[in-house]
Amino acid sequence: MGTPLLELRGINKSFGPVQVLRDVAFTVHPGEVTALVGDNGAGKSTLVKCIGGIYPIDSGEYLMEGKQVHVHNPRDAASHGVEIVYQDLALCDNLDIVQNMFLGRERRSGMILDEPTMEQLAQQTLASLSVRTVKSVRQRVASLSGGQRQTVAIAKAVLWNSKLVILDEPTAALGVAQTQQVLELVRRLADNGLAVVLISHNMNDVFAVSDRIAMLYLGRMAAQVKTSDVTHSQVVELITSGRSGALGLAEEGAAA
Amino acid sequence: MRAGPSQEEIRRQNLGALLRFVHVRGSISRAELTSELGLNRSTIGALTADLAAVGLVSEEAPRETGRAGRPSLVVRPSSELVYAYAASVEVDRVRVARIGLGGVILDQREAPRPRGEAIEAVRPVAEFVAQMAEQVKPQARCIGAGIAVCGLVRREDGLVRLGPHLGWLDEPLGHALQDRLPDLLPQVAVGNVADLCALAEHTRGVAVGCDNIIYMYGDVGVGAGIIAGGRRVTGHGGYGGEVGHMVVNPHGRPCGCGSRGCWETEIGEHALLRAAGRDTALGSEAVLAVVEAAARGDATAQVAVRQVGDWLGFGVANLVNIFNPELVIFGGTLRDVYLASAAQVRSRLNSIGLPATREHVRLRTPKLGGDAALLGAAELAFEQLLADPLG
Repeated sequence: MGTPLLELRGINKSFGPVQVLRDVAFTVHPGEVTALVGDNGAGKSTLVKCIGGIYPIDSGEYLMEGKQVHVHNPRDAASHGVEIVYQDLALCDNLDIVQNMFLGRERRSGMILDEPTMEQLAQQTLASLSVRTVKSVRQRVASLSGGQRQTVAIAKAVLWNSKLVILDEPTAALGVAQTQQVLELVRRLADNGLAVVLISHNMNDVFAVSDRIAMLYLGRMAAQVKTSDVTHSQVVELITSGRSGALGLAEEGAAA
Repeated sequence: MRAGPSQEEIRRQNLGALLRFVHVRGSISRAELTSELGLNRSTIGALTADLAAVGLVSEEAPRETGRAGRPSLVVRPSSELVYAYAASVEVDRVRVARIGLGGVILDQREAPRPRGEAIEAVRPVAEFVAQMAEQVKPQARCIGAGIAVCGLVRREDGLVRLGPHLGWLDEPLGHALQDRLPDLLPQVAVGNVADLCALAEHTRGVAVGCDNIIYMYGDVGVGAGIIAGGRRVTGHGGYGGEVGHMVVNPHGRPCGCGSRGCWETEIGEHALLRAAGRDTALGSEAVLAVVEAAARGDATAQVAVRQVGDWLGFGVANLVNIFNPELVIFGGTLRDVYLASAAQVRSRLNSIGLPATREHVRLRTPKLGGDAALLGAAELAFEQLLADPLG
């Protein structure tokens, strides 16, 4: 296995007296989907926000492609190719697809916006993801279905030459057909060479698309394993108790 | 000692290789062809000229390269002018498409499948072909037709030996179509739907560049298209890949084939619908309805989906142990079943599959979706042309 795209070592993060992440290690490889799972309050969102530069980490190492980097804010993370798609998608209903995809980072030619180029880039990005469900890139986001919105939010993340795309519960609140399309899209991102982190509570989604599964338990990384090496019940055990057979946290660690 | 191939043979070989390359990859510059095929620049020029003379490809100047020097001409497959008809005969419908060289779908129609023998099923197919033929440019050239069918197909003449869910036994499907339209169709080839889906995904879908794949096609029945070492594995007579009739449960339910406990009695559409208590429902919509109900929290549907997923993983693990594929693709309604029960499928595979064989296997859904059967059927029709473009 080559160098991981992202490697975190010994990450600690506290909010006041509450330590949310303890000595967390986490690696993400290009071309793979890494599922990040854990019970509510296990620290998944905090970990992702640390990666995205929204929360500064208290201590620990943050390495991109083997080199240590310092991420203090979301712009730093974006400059390293990290894009996060949040659960609420953060799209503007009153704008169209192109405007949303370039929001805050519009292309210009001289004084005016370079609409043709932006439109073309948006179309190319959607085409590269084999998205066929969106008819026109000039549609308003308000008119799109939940699955299409998710698709636009993902395409927006891919547009910026990103290397790592983090998806927070992308299939929550979607119907079956749309969930299937989004799962296929997530898989395609990784097959195109991106590193993808998928946060999900749905074990089917995790097993359907992931190459590795990282399990957080009470702010600690219980295990990070290949999807081809574990069963459903082992993953559930690791999520709920932090241990499963030889996998997981040491006994005293789990009790602490 | 055998003499080397004649110059004529080498030329035919190269013409075929070039045309196949353009057919699979689409428009490509002469310069790229030169490096990809490893042939001399002037040879590529001469071969392209030969193919262009008979209208199989066209050459044009590229739009703009942004680089210095004389730009290399771009070779394009003549999709509008060289085409085949592709048909897919399924349990509840027939679909027909006109597909141009390069795998471009130019026209597509579908109708419910009339009950009865091949003669009946061929009627709507022939009607669609005749309708489409009216809209074709006069200078265009039809290569023939390919038909994908869910049944056992004899390789030598396209006789459908058994189509258990169509109710067919020894039906001459290919001849029936050609007899109806002798003027329109120079040749008709027939293949099994799973084999042709595998071929299509291997040529221009999710399995491009993968030489060991299994395409699991499921509807009422279940079959597999297998490609091993880059070659289609169809067996001695062409009947291989009937994984749906692998017996997994000797005490299981009777199967349409006369045996008991075949894999398809545990993972086919009927198995899922029966487990969900919806015996009376039929077809892919009913399968989706069960998956949908399971996602909404219907306990019976959830148990049904899990149970079928468990059996699916059981069989896939065995296939993975036998063929050591790099890719297993779930198509037809198995796509929906797989995505809804991936936890069970993977868990079974991970516990039964040998570590070495399952290590690099990727489980995927098709890229071409429902078009795979038609694109695969077209590949079958184009095969002869690609082997000998000027013949």
